[in-house]
Amino acid sequence: MHSHIKQRLENIVDNLDQLPSLPDVVSKIINMVNDPNVDFKKVADEIVKDQAITANILKLCNSAYFSKGKEIASIDRAIVILGIREVKDMVVLATTKAVLNKVIMGYDLARGELWKHGVAVAMVSKNIALMKKRRDISDEVFTGGIIHDVGKTVLALFVQNTFKDILTTVEERNITFQEAEKEVMGFDHQEIGERVLEKWQFPPILRAIVRYHHEPQLAPKEHMAPVSIVHVANTLCLMAGIGIGSDGLFHELKPEAINAAGLTEDELEKIYSEIPEVMQKAGEIM
Amino acid sequence: MNNLINIGVAQIGSAENPAVLRTILGSCVGICIYDRSKKIGGMAHILLPKNNGKGNDEKYADTAIPMLIQKMLKQGCSKEFMTAKIAGGSSMFKFKSSASLSNIGDNNVISTREALKASGINVVAEDIGGNVGRVIDFFLEDGRMKVKAAGNEQLYYKV
Repeated sequence: MHSHIKQRLENIVDNLDQLPSLPDVVSKIINMVNDPNVDFKKVADEIVKDQAITANILKLCNSAYFSKGKEIASIDRAIVILGIREVKDMVVLATTKAVLNKVIMGYDLARGELWKHGVAVAMVSKNIALMKKRRDISDEVFTGGIIHDVGKTVLALFVQNTFKDILTTVEERNITFQEAEKEVMGFDHQEIGERVLEKWQFPPILRAIVRYHHEPQLAPKEHMAPVSIVHVANTLCLMAGIGIGSDGLFHELKPEAINAAGLTEDELEKIYSEIPEVMQKAGEIM
Repeated sequence: MNNLINIGVAQIGSAENPAVLRTILGSCVGICIYDRSKKIGGMAHILLPKNNGKGNDEKYADTAIPMLIQKMLKQGCSKEFMTAKIAGGSSMFKFKSSASLSNIGDNNVISTREALKASGINVVAEDIGGNVGRVIDFFLEDGRMKVKAAGNEQLYYKV
């Protein structure tokens, strides 16, 4: 254990200023949409206050991935035609790019790779939710998929300095890369990510996805299904090389997650084999 | 400055010197075929070993490799000057759950070797297996392949 690194990370997670920021409007929208008595007009009013986000969302509305064929020229129409949960997903897409579209040093990810990985995991997660008739969580796993690795943006610099020790720990102790991160630095990227989402005031389901995406069996029971879906999507995307970095495939596909998501062997193979088609669609919303 | 061409998952591509073909691999296999006479290189990034007729040909080793070779022959390459280098085929570190997906890296490598052999192309270098992710750069000036994995770089010059 590098105790000085642990101490520096403790300082970072205790000092919110050092964690990445998002515009306040994002948590406002997410929490408004989660309210069963949500007022669509208020959501639209909140979004249009920000011109840049509004322009981005209108572009996403008319992408083949989100479009339902009709040209959409206002946020009001977007909510009516595409749905409020889809518009919320677009708010997250439009605002998290600035945080995730970076060079991630220690994990050896070139600019754009972590962002592409997030979008791919989001889309695959949504496909799994729809395949398993869980439309009720399809938007949550999409949002969670985008940001599940946000902790890497903070941890990367420290991974760069301890990479050899982490890899040695993986090999000697026969533990996964994320478990070795915690052994060597006192924190793993899931825990740092959870702190980032606390700063952003994101709801518990999204915090659970970020905190447990490598160990879904430890997730609170009520969030087991969405966490498991993102876990499977993340693992399959890494196998297909989407956003794979220096941590490689030193991870585990958990049987508990496959069970919790209710996936059969054939379904897993189908999801994996369709990743190229997902990547074609991902291009236009990235 | 070399022209960098990214080859995505389930894509094939070829180019003439000067260019660098790049791909990023997990369990997939990257196939770099070089014609040392014409200095033309082709790359395939296959996701799965065998095409059962359902998906697009670029996705599978047994159909993508003949497709890539045909493409290169049309560009004026000839088989007598062509050799292949392959990389990738990693497995998940821990994988107790799904039998068929857990072997996908190994099966991709086996099917890749078979398809190259059936096409009469020699494999002159392999950087395969393990649990690492790999970034492959294929330089068409001399056909060398650079593999970056787990923080280390390895060069393969043989053509």
